[in-house]
Parts: sequence; C-alpha cells; structure tokens
Amino acid sequence: MTTVLKTPAGWPSILLARAAATVPAGTDPTDLDIAVRRGAFEGLKRAVRDLGPAGTIATVASSGLRGRGGAGFPTGEKWRAAAATQARRRYVVGNGYGADPSSFTDRALIEADPYSVIEGLAIAAYAIGATEAVLAVRAEDVQAVQRLEAAVAAAEEAGFLGPDLLDSGHDLAVTIRPVQGAYMLGEETVLLKALEGRRGQPEQRPPHPTERGLFGMPTVVQNVQTLAAVPWILVNGADRFAAIGSKASPGTILVQVRGADKAGVAEIPVGTPLREIVPLAGSLGRGRTLKAILVGGPSGGILPPELLDTPYEFDALRAVGAHIGSGSVVLADDRACIVDLGRLLTSFCATEACGKTIPCRIGTRRLVEIVERATTGRPKPTDLQLLADLSADIVDSALCDHERLTTLPLTSGMRYFGPELDAHLLRSSCPAGVCRPIAVAAGAAS
Amino acid sequence: MSFVPGLGIVKGMALTLRRFFEPKATIKYPEERPDQSPKFRGRLQLLYDEYGTLKCETCFQCAQACPIECIDMGGIDTKGRYHVHWGPPETYGERRDESALRRSGRTVPDKAYEHFESIDLTAVDGILEDHDYDPKKMLEILEGVQAAYGFLPVAAIKRISFKTGAWYALIYGTASYYDHLRFERPGDIAQGAAVDAHRPGEVAFLAGLDGALHGAKHKSPAATGKVH
Ligand SMILES: Cc1cc2nc3c(=O)[nH]c(=O)nc-3n(C[C@H](O)[C@H](O)[C@H](O)COP(=O)(O)O)c2cc1C
Ligand code: SF4
Ligand code: FES
Repeated sequence: MTTVLKTPAGWPSILLARAAATVPAGTDPTDLDIAVRRGAFEGLKRAVRDLGPAGTIATVASSGLRGRGGAGFPTGEKWRAAAATQARRRYVVGNGYGADPSSFTDRALIEADPYSVIEGLAIAAYAIGATEAVLAVRAEDVQAVQRLEAAVAAAEEAGFLGPDLLDSGHDLAVTIRPVQGAYMLGEETVLLKALEGRRGQPEQRPPHPTERGLFGMPTVVQNVQTLAAVPWILVNGADRFAAIGSKASPGTILVQVRGADKAGVAEIPVGTPLREIVPLAGSLGRGRTLKAILVGGPSGGILPPELLDTPYEFDALRAVGAHIGSGSVVLADDRACIVDLGRLLTSFCATEACGKTIPCRIGTRRLVEIVERATTGRPKPTDLQLLADLSADIVDSALCDHERLTTLPLTSGMRYFGPELDAHLLRSSCPAGVCRPIAVAAGAAS
Repeated sequence: MSFVPGLGIVKGMALTLRRFFEPKATIKYPEERPDQSPKFRGRLQLLYDEYGTLKCETCFQCAQACPIECIDMGGIDTKGRYHVHWGPPETYGERRDESALRRSGRTVPDKAYEHFESIDLTAVDGILEDHDYDPKKMLEILEGVQAAYGFLPVAAIKRISFKTGAWYALIYGTASYYDHLRFERPGDIAQGAAVDAHRPGEVAFLAGLDGALHGAKHKSPAATGKVH
C-alpha cells in the first residue's frame, strides 16, 4: 500500500527528493554508492566539518522545522533542550513506528530512502552529543526493517556511522529496533518504555524526554520525516527551507490520502489547502459527492466540505478541531454516516488506550458507550450533554495526548454534523441509513 | 466517677466528629514519611549498632513473620541491577508451603500449576544467556521465548523472573500489554479467538474504515469486538 502518488508539477520535494525517479526504477535504495552519488551524507559532512554541534542546532532552529510526528514541536528547541541538560549519556530515538494502521507515510519514506533517515539521526546525535541512537520501526514492515538494517551496516562500513564518524571524534552506535504490538507505541514516552523493555504506558510530562528519557538520560525523540528533512536543510540552507510551505511551519510533509479508488502517500508543502490535497485521492466514484474529510488518523477530526480551504498545517487544523496526527486524509462520500464513522474511530482509540489513567481507561470507554447507544437506536435523553461534558473532562484531565485526541472524532462530528448526530440521539434515526435504529423510532425516521 | 449511661459512646462520637471536620491528608509513603512515635508498632526501621553498621543479619525472620508478605530483602548486584534476595524456602517455613516456595523462587507444586510446568527450560536459559539476563531487554527475551515455544508458558516467565530479578508481576504486565505476545498455546483456538475478539486490532479497523467511508451497513456491536 505504500504507493507514492505524483503531486502536481512545481510542488517542492524535500523528503523524497533523493528517492525521486531520477534513477531508473528498480535500483536498490540501500545501495550506498548510488545514494552517495545522489547526495547522501552531504548534510552530515557539513554538520561535522563546517557547522559544529552548536551551529547545527542553530541552523535547524532557524529553519523553523517542526516535528512531523503530530505535535509539531519546534525541532531546534528540542535539540537545544537536550544538549543543555547535563548528563553522562544522551540518546536520539527515531520514531518510525507509524502507529496509524491506515497511514503508511513513515514506512514509504523509510523504504524509499533509508539513508535520509539515518543521516538525520546521525546529525541529531552529533548535534546533541549522543553516542547511541535507536531507530524504532514497526516489526510488521519487514521490508522497512531489512532496508534500514542493510543501510546502517553499509554506512557503518563506510565510516559515516560508528566510532569516530567522518574523523570528527564523535562515536555513534545506531541500532534498528523493530517494535510491535500496540498503537500507543507511537507516543514517545511509550516508545521509550518499550525500548526499556517495560509495559508501554505514557509518563507524566514534565520532565520531558529531553531531560529524562531513555534509561533516565536526555533523549531526543524525533519522527523519521523530521529527521529526513534535516540533511536537506543543512545542505540547502535554512532560508531556502523556511521559504517552502507556510510561514509558521515551513517545509514539506508526507500525507496518506485514501479515497474511493486510490490510496497512497504524497509529499506536499505544509500549509497546502485541503482542497488541493483531496484530488490526490482520485475521484469518489460516479455520482458521489464528498461528505466529510477525516484528517489525522483514528483520532482525527471529521471536517465538512465547507472547510476545504483550511490549510494543512498544525495550528490551522487544531483550530478547526482536527490535527495532522498520522498525516492521513481520508474521504467519506455521501453514503457515509458520520456517527457510525465516529463510533468506529472512537472504539478503536478506546481499545488501544493504555488503561493507565481514569480518563484513558474509563472516559474513552464511556464515549464508546454513548456513541454505541446512538448507533443502535437506544440513546438516553441526556446523551448529547453527557457527550459534550465528558469530552471536555477528558481533555482537561488526560495524561497523554491520546485521550485528548480520542474525543476529536465525536466533538468535531458534533460541531459540523450536528443535525445528523441529533437525529441519532434525539430521534433514534439514521439519515444515512447505515445504523440500526430501533423499530419504533424507525417509523419517525427522516 | 459516677456512671453516666451512654457517656462512653458520646465521648467516642465526639472524637469521631472532631476528626471528621479536621483536614485530611493522604501521605505518599515511602516518598513522604510522617513523624511517628518511637513506640508506634507499625514503624519499620533498620537499626544501626554503635559502629554504624546495620544490625540486620538478613535472617529473614521479619519476612517470615510479615502476615501480608510485604517484607523482602534486596540489593544491587555488580551490574547495578536490583535483585530481591530470596531466602531459602525453609526461612519462610511458617508460611503456607506454596507461598514459601514461590518466594524463594522455586517452582510451586501446586495442582493448579502442574500442567504449566512440564516444559523444557533449556531454550529459555539460552535466550536469557544471549541477553545477558538483563531485565532491560525484557521485550527481546519475551519475543525470543515466544518464538521458541509459540507462546509464553508460565514456567518460562517464572524462570525469567528468577534469573533476571524482575518481579513476575512486572513481566506479566509487560507481556500482557503487547498484542503480539500471548499466553495461550497457539493450538487453543477458542481462547485465542476470544482474545482476538476482545482486541479487534488493526485489520478489523481498516476493514471497518473502508466500509464506514462508503456507508456500509454497520454490524452488530458484538461483531465489532466489543465484549458485553
Ligand atoms: C497516540 C499517539 C500516537 C503517536 N504516534 C506517532 C507515530 O506513529 N509516529 C510518530 O513519529 N509520532 C507519533 N506520535 C507523536 C510522538 O509522541 C512524538 O511527539 C513524536 O515522535 C516526536 O517527534 P517529532 O517532534 O519529530 O514530531 C504519537 C503521539 C500520540 C499521542
Ligand atoms: S483497577 Fe485500578 S488499582 Fe487495579 S490494576 Fe487497575 S488501575 Fe490498578
Ligand atoms: S492512553 Fe492511557 S494515559 Fe493516554
């Protein structure tokens, strides 16, 4: 499913630039010679030979790069915090887990250009003074794991990694760690727990992982797309990067689009309006109209077509009740029932919630119960209010972002598809004819 | 000292009422330790002799006596790992037999456990050796054991606990969190299906998502994996 979709001519490419089809298809992406000819490890050389650790951090910070893992935290700031923490050891962790089962963005990147991720990892490690770096990948993505392992071995052999890399005096051991078995592994504190061999439940922050992370040492956790953007920034300059995409979040990002007949990964400049992303997913099918766009994966927001002008950008999406999340943009046609879609998403998120805290263990479960009452035609008169109150309480009291985001499908559904939700909750009827309202109420259905 | 009927209960209730309106505090023992009278019988303390060395001789008598089995002894080994130093079973002699054995890290001749015990532990020992008995490599160890046996036998987890010094409950907690680790024999279809139904997982989600986007009829809650 990791098809890379063509974007309109003129759209910039950063993450997949090297992997782009300048070389005949079928070349092995783990071939170090080809990769080096295409510019691999130029960024690392520049960091080591010209910039030095502090200069590297300053360049990344001035490029305005923000984390592609979902939260959009400024990368330079993260590195600065980790470098400033006194410690015997530091770690860099590349997060290539790709938690969302319907999104293959990180996997597409790793498979297409493993060296860009490894190079970014090495630059981050050099910049903050880390001697160990771990790259966590999904164990199910066998090809991604194999390519990364081959790439790390080749790069070590060539002296780009390992002891005294590029004669810089800096040692770096890179480990590929396949992990599996839980959606929550994508969350950074959970991923660190898994790397420590423990039960994967999130930790309270602060202290942030940049202060106390893997084995209690300062750790920079970075999404693989974030890492892959770093070499480009060092080679082409922070200013050129800052000029691409939107002002508040420059650069490009991978999105996973999913429409009726087409699904795939595309690289787009951050801040592209949703209107221009939707056509990448192909047509909806004859006679079908767009009813809603799910932005952000299982815990994403369900947006109406009126919001198609929203830029695909961290802050703008937050403001309309969605988020970048796993980078997935999914189209629902006019046959879909928003409440049923909300039920599916919420129950997936609730099942995957770790169970550590009450909003997580009980709050999300109650959300599912409310929406299941709605889709089976047995709502309670107070359910609408309860849904609103409970969502607000979960957002206020959550330990990790997962619970906060779990409320999004239903709250955005409430916000933009109010009449449809009301039909379920107040009249036990499903306008789209998807759910099973009880027999009595079905008579009164719209 | 005249006898007033009911005075006792009035006094008692007065104390209750007073306490009732006093502010309450939850003290997070052991991070915070309130002042306790030296005479307080619940006070846990290790005493030092006049040379400043601990008087405790690790005789395990306290562990033996503790009615809720909350006392044990531990320390840091040469690799900086914390181990509980289990006493020999005899030291727990006043306890129920199984409890004494379990605490000393031996296998328990408990009827309920018997059918779990008949596995050959050589593979577990090899895996543990490969990972240096390091509890930080717990996921690798568990994945290795599952690859060797097809599931995580109780006896294997006990062995891991004994060898790495990690609590059994901790290992169980880790193993039960990850979906790909299982405690059921692969042959046990009914049990496996029940586990799968409870955690429908990604395949079910993807299928459901594709359906929901095009208005496919929604299945009964039972079919979506919710267990009532
Ligand atoms: C439920 C949940 C799932 C997440 N899944 C992923 C993921 O699959 N991949 C990822 O890179 N970040 C994921 N994140 C975000 C990480 O916690 C973390 O913010 C990110 O890896 C930091 O890297 P960045 O600054 O480069 O974005 C997830 C967060 C949450 C709350
Ligand atoms: S019920 Fe409460 S106390 Fe018991 S295991 Fe769950 S969270 Fe812990
Ligand atoms: S998912 Fe359990 S605390 Fe966030």
